[in-house]
Amino acid sequence: MYSLLLLGISLGIKMFTSLQLHLAKVFLKIFVRDRQSILFSLFFPLVFMGAFLFSGGEPDPINLGLVNNSTNTVSKNFTEIVTGDPLFNITEGEESDLKEQLFLGDQTAIIVIPENFDYLKKTGELRLLLDASQVRQLGTIKEALNTSLLSIERELRNAEPMFSVKVEDIKARPQRYIDFLLPGLLAFMLMNLSIAGSGFNIVEYRRRGILKRLFVTPIQPKDFIVSIVLARLAIVLVQISVVLGLAITLLDIKIVGSLFSLYGMVVLGTVIFLCLGFCLGSFAKTQEAIRPMVSAFVFPQLILSGVFFPISSMPELMQPVAHALPLSVIATGLRDIANDGTSLLILNTTTLGVGIWLILSFIIVTRFFVWKEVAS
Amino acid sequence: MNIIEVRNLYKSYPKPGNKKESFNAVDGITFNIKVGEVYGILGPNGAGKTTTLEMLEGLNDIESGSALIDGLDVSNNAFKVKEIIGVQLQANEYFDRLDLTELLILFGKLYSQEIDSEVLLKKVDLLDKSNAKPEELSGGQKQRFSIACALVNNPKILFLDEPTTGLDPQAKRNLWNLVKELNAAGMTIVLTTHNMEEAETLCNRIAIMDQGKLIVEDTPQGLIQKYASQPLQAPLHGNIEDVFLTLTGHKLRD
Repeated sequence: MYSLLLLGISLGIKMFTSLQLHLAKVFLKIFVRDRQSILFSLFFPLVFMGAFLFSGGEPDPINLGLVNNSTNTVSKNFTEIVTGDPLFNITEGEESDLKEQLFLGDQTAIIVIPENFDYLKKTGELRLLLDASQVRQLGTIKEALNTSLLSIERELRNAEPMFSVKVEDIKARPQRYIDFLLPGLLAFMLMNLSIAGSGFNIVEYRRRGILKRLFVTPIQPKDFIVSIVLARLAIVLVQISVVLGLAITLLDIKIVGSLFSLYGMVVLGTVIFLCLGFCLGSFAKTQEAIRPMVSAFVFPQLILSGVFFPISSMPELMQPVAHALPLSVIATGLRDIANDGTSLLILNTTTLGVGIWLILSFIIVTRFFVWKEVAS
Repeated sequence: MNIIEVRNLYKSYPKPGNKKESFNAVDGITFNIKVGEVYGILGPNGAGKTTTLEMLEGLNDIESGSALIDGLDVSNNAFKVKEIIGVQLQANEYFDRLDLTELLILFGKLYSQEIDSEVLLKKVDLLDKSNAKPEELSGGQKQRFSIACALVNNPKILFLDEPTTGLDPQAKRNLWNLVKELNAAGMTIVLTTHNMEEAETLCNRIAIMDQGKLIVEDTPQGLIQKYASQPLQAPLHGNIEDVFLTLTGHKLRD
């Protein structure tokens, strides 16, 4: 497997001319000597992960108020189960006190156990008082309460449950927020590094007349682009490996799919964003213009691409747009591989999306990256 | 033998401030440059000197007319032409964080050539700066380095765009000597300048451009005889530059 990989790499290197490889090495050298930019491109993802390291990667328990108006065993049982659930942080108290806390935001919801909480008489209606702004967690709360009630019911029936659900997590472990976040974070990182590598650099090289100087030598635009792509790929792969390595060792992240697929997706994503960056760089005539252009490209994607929140939690109207953005395609692709163990080589909507963006960005860059205009 | 033949060269740009109208930056110029010549293009700012050079260097499209360099039509053989010319541009900035040696090796690679950076640096008197970054050089050193970069492919023709603008008299004279040495070794040199003394000292022939047109072309002596044969005032003494150089010496300061 690895010898095959090495063979692939050595064949890959032979594909490039010595000029392209030399230029790529020069660009790498320039980057490696720029300590500040290395530090800061790693700063954000590492700080982010550091925060998770201290919180253990688990979300904070949901604060629940519990008003127990009943005194029978059923309510006692229920209270015990709910209190023991790590999802919740239970505070027992009077309804009026807890409501005040709910109003202040100290409680997310209040469960009220009615006086006549009884299974046999079927008067076991629980009331759930909610803070509407926290409605995102309603599903989790409801599900946990239902499970608790179900297990009490079974106990009271004094019987084995008729049907049992044995929960077998196909991911073999609970899905934590950090597991969701990391692939998105990697995608965001590679987007930023790529756009900076192509878009910003092109504009800077043009402004200073460096492109013009290159253009009076016999170098072909293709050689220039290929070498920047190669150098950036190396930079992105190293930086992604640093973050990924730390995540695996310190945060106990497990990559379910193969690293081959994961890195393959990183490479494709980097190429896509480099191409799009070249386009931004050749559109923007000045250093002042490139910043807002890149912001206009990055920020909507940062918000819409499901890097920090699942796209499914967005307004329905925006979801199709959000799904189609290049960052969300790459983030979803990385997540599918890291969390669900899919392969890069399996054709599904995500890999199809990656393919489409790859072709699209190639077409755009070959159409819009005009050497003469870029150089002059 | 002509190494450069320019026929009826045109280039128009949109008028600044009125994009709908255009003006001819280069307005039908014709000239020849012989092998081994130092050819100077003079003219006020905006005369079309740089545009002319850029069309010859393949940086700028030729709108109409033709330019042959060493028998190659620039319009169709831009990349072949680039292999036999060396160019020093007005702006001379380079990639950051690379020293002179690394930059020269990089430029050599652009011509698919392995070069000896020490030989080149020695030629432009910068051997002791081989590990310096371009931004650490003085104006004169920068210009000399810029010429070293233009020499990596051992070009047949060297284009210099205002090579001494902004240099102190010592650096200027030092650069003139460099140009003379290169020319003595057989290199054809095309330069633009605002410095009349430079044109007179260095150039075998001079073309004066104004408003895109080539208004006159001859040897410096020929031009002087024709247009300024009667001195307005007999020079009784040198000029202030001579004073400056007498007082501060001819030794390079950077």
